Amino acid sequence: MTCSCEKQTNGRNIFLPTLAEIVSAQMITATEKHFTLRMKDGAKFDFEPGQIVEAGVFGYGEIPLGLASSPTVKDSFELVVRVVGKVSSALAALGAGDTMTIRGPLGHGFPVSEFKGRDVLIVAGGIGLCPTRSMIRYILDRRDDFGKFTLFFGARTPKDMLFTDDLTDWRCSTCMDYHETVDRPDDRWMGNVGVITTLFKKTKDINPQTRVIICGPPVMYKFVVKELDALGIPRSNVFVDLERRMKCGVGKCGHCQINNKTVCMDGPVFRFSEIQDLEEAI
Amino acid sequence: MTTRFLSDGALKQFVQALMAKGPVIGPVARKSRFVFAALEAPEDLRLDYDTTILPPKKLFFPTKQDLVKFDSPSSFSGCVEPKEQVLLGVHPHDIKGIDMSDKFYAANIPDSNYLAHRAKTTIIGSNVQKHYKHAFFGSVCRELKPQGHDMFLTRLKGGYLVEVRSKKGEELLALGKFEPASREQAAEAEAVNAAAEKNCPEKLNDTSDSVREKVRASFGSDIWNELSRDCFSCGSCNIVCPTCFCFDVQDEWNLDGVSGVRSRCWDACLVSEFSEVSVQGGSENFREERAERYRHRFMRKAVYLNDALGGPACVGCGRCSGACTADIANPTVAINTIMER
Repeated sequence: MTCSCEKQTNGRNIFLPTLAEIVSAQMITATEKHFTLRMKDGAKFDFEPGQIVEAGVFGYGEIPLGLASSPTVKDSFELVVRVVGKVSSALAALGAGDTMTIRGPLGHGFPVSEFKGRDVLIVAGGIGLCPTRSMIRYILDRRDDFGKFTLFFGARTPKDMLFTDDLTDWRCSTCMDYHETVDRPDDRWMGNVGVITTLFKKTKDINPQTRVIICGPPVMYKFVVKELDALGIPRSNVFVDLERRMKCGVGKCGHCQINNKTVCMDGPVFRFSEIQDLEEAI
Repeated sequence: MTTRFLSDGALKQFVQALMAKGPVIGPVARKSRFVFAALEAPEDLRLDYDTTILPPKKLFFPTKQDLVKFDSPSSFSGCVEPKEQVLLGVHPHDIKGIDMSDKFYAANIPDSNYLAHRAKTTIIGSNVQKHYKHAFFGSVCRELKPQGHDMFLTRLKGGYLVEVRSKKGEELLALGKFEPASREQAAEAEAVNAAAEKNCPEKLNDTSDSVREKVRASFGSDIWNELSRDCFSCGSCNIVCPTCFCFDVQDEWNLDGVSGVRSRCWDACLVSEFSEVSVQGGSENFREERAERYRHRFMRKAVYLNDALGGPACVGCGRCSGACTADIANPTVAINTIMER
């Protein structure tokens, strides 16, 4: 699969993807499809929670997606595609047995070592649950490595809730303190209604040493950070996971550049204190 | 460093010898302007050009470059096939632009597609014989010298002083009737190049270091609104810039609807769609205002790339000043205004 120039420059064509086979695929909401994949050549796919891949279909293109499974699962990995455009529609048309192209893992994920031994709070809004799920599942799989684990999840409506099997487990789990909310309830919704920050009233003991991850719609960040400030959590202990339309994934194409940082190389996970003054970040 | 003299007649024969070995790309006239194009005859070469419409980056970073060819969803291969080429007649500031581009593409995760084209290219620079009306290279980081070239020609009476700048350049000496150069000729060439820097029609009033710090500090200033008020967001300044490297990646099918190619093409951060992102099912633009996009380009040239690559990314060619429809891109006007505030 290499051409003569690659041998001459001793470098790999950074745009050359590898093939992943779809083990299973199912629509989990009206617009989101959940894929479980493994590399077609049987190679191990190792990554850090929070890293991304460029997933693609030839003829349509590639899109950046956060890995939605934990690296503790060795024989497969998971992605969630929300159907919004040409490439995501082409990916969502694929089913079990089909292949998609993968480049990655790319970028920097959550600094797991900084979280170890600490209490952890994850605040996920909407599809922000997908990339953070890599860390949620990691914590649950290595539960003894972490302190108290709190998860806040907010969705627009009950129908928009992703990973409902996980949510069912988490609601009655003794390994974590899980709270959820919706902006607009339906007739059957018995839980909290309101924006995600209303969940801060539901739990009392978030200590100032807690390490925090925030991932959700841009509007969510400033309100969540205000709550964290009130709890006395330093912004250097808060990590955010940013989305951009990364074309190359290797810091060259310029599309994901915010001020002097590229989301694909310096992120997608950033320490909040490092980007809070970057006007273009959130 | 080897120094030689090449007479006008010998230059023609040298160019002919280069052309016999492979494509030679140099400045040629197109109506009232010049472009870098493959020479069809040695006489096409116009070393007296002022500037070219597009910078020479197109030789290693083509406007459209195939990256991966596919026959089916699961059958594909990398497809960069660079060919040996000679790039002849590059002005010193454009060589600096290539240096910046080389560093950028080699940094972190190297872009082998760019580097493969670059490695196959021999670069022969030449002095500025006629200034482009917007050129200001003489006031941009003069201490930073052009590096990535193999030979440099300076116009003297009756011919050129030839300075060999690499091993590859040394090997070129076998292709022409190069005569020994006198110390006086070498001194004259040095004076010619110094004069070209001194006589630029436009200039920045401050050093690159002070420009970097002041531009960085002006991030939140209203001046960007003021400077960009007439911007059409057309991206012309990006396209003609030697150090604008951004690109888009797109797939195209062949007529069979199955096979095709994934390629990259030049993109422009001044265009509003550049910074759009799908977020939570909607679309966000993190540089929605034209002032933000205009500022981003200046920040990238004066600050971000400068920090990352050790020198200002603007080389002072002046092409953006000439290409701008609204006449607002001129860096000397913008930077000098920022520095005066």
